[in-house]
Amino acid sequence: MSERTDDELVIERVAREVRSPVHLDAAFDARVMAAVRATRLPLRRRRVLAGMLRQRRVMLSPIGALALAAGFAGVVAASTLALYAPATKSVTPAARGAAGAVPATRRLIQFVLTAPSASRVALAGDFNGWSTTATLLRRAPGANVWSVSVPLAPGRHAYAFVVDDSVWVADPAAPRAPENDFGPPNSVVTVYGASL
Amino acid sequence: MDVSDAELVEQVLGGDREAYASLVARYRDQLARYARRMLGNREDAEDALQDAFIRAFRSLDRCADRERFGAWLFRILVNRCRTAGKRGARDRQRFVHDAAALLDAAEEHPADRTAMREEIERALAELGAEQREAFLLKYGEELGYEEMAALTGVGVSALKMRVKRACERLRDLLEEEVESVRADG
Repeated sequence: MSERTDDELVIERVAREVRSPVHLDAAFDARVMAAVRATRLPLRRRRVLAGMLRQRRVMLSPIGALALAAGFAGVVAASTLALYAPATKSVTPAARGAAGAVPATRRLIQFVLTAPSASRVALAGDFNGWSTTATLLRRAPGANVWSVSVPLAPGRHAYAFVVDDSVWVADPAAPRAPENDFGPPNSVVTVYGASL
Repeated sequence: MDVSDAELVEQVLGGDREAYASLVARYRDQLARYARRMLGNREDAEDALQDAFIRAFRSLDRCADRERFGAWLFRILVNRCRTAGKRGARDRQRFVHDAAALLDAAEEHPADRTAMREEIERALAELGAEQREAFLLKYGEELGYEEMAALTGVGVSALKMRVKRACERLRDLLEEEVESVRADG
């Protein structure tokens, strides 16, 4: 018998072994279903890859948000950098007013998406219960750039953009959420520092 | 006629959580087999499998092709096994004699087969995780390379190389068993 045939026999035997059945604990199904019953039902939503979309995430202090609101959205959108302002930056009352009532322990994070053909863009994340309607982005006049600023507590937040109520898009410029190992992944933003 | 995966997924998304039990029953054995061989012990395998089922439930709405729920679920399990393998929390138990697993199937010559199974299990554990994953998908699940690529996100040529090297390594590790294999035919 040739060496080659022996090799094949070994692999065939290993293959037979790894195809043999494995018995699970008798209570396995019950454990899974107990966990399922304790888990919130998934929402109905469609999640489709959107190759036509480009996204940029920009984190700004309230001053940056004020500047953006004053008409510099195009400049920010053209940048490919994710900006981060140190937590120690001072904030004027006007900026605070422009940003809305931001709790002292939160930072204002701006999310920007370039979506030329979109008619509606929302931000869904763990900070808004993954709602596809609660946090809508606004389109800059005459531009393809959508943005929204959200006060977030320090920590790690997962999010995704939802375009036209159906297309879920992760942010390629941001880290991916490691635990989301199915479907298009979510993105992660880490908010540092404490007060504004 | 069995209810299709797509119908069961729709039932769950429509509010019938109990329909998920049918999906669990449909796929648990195949997935348990992979997880058990991949992770080397029953405890880690059950943890990874349970985690995969629950993660799949939480994100069921993201299963784009509901008729292929099984493939989607399998992809989740492969990822969970990768994560669990990296943790290596129970590596020390990998070689612990698993009496239940060894009694999984009836054998014509139980003593010989048990010794061989232990050797095979030991040899599989000696492979690197990537080679073991590729080998199990190819020979355990009998997938084609294109399917494996879609499942793992690894290119076909890289997978072929991993399988080839896994086979070579297994042959080396099990060299002493060749005579008994030949005798068994």
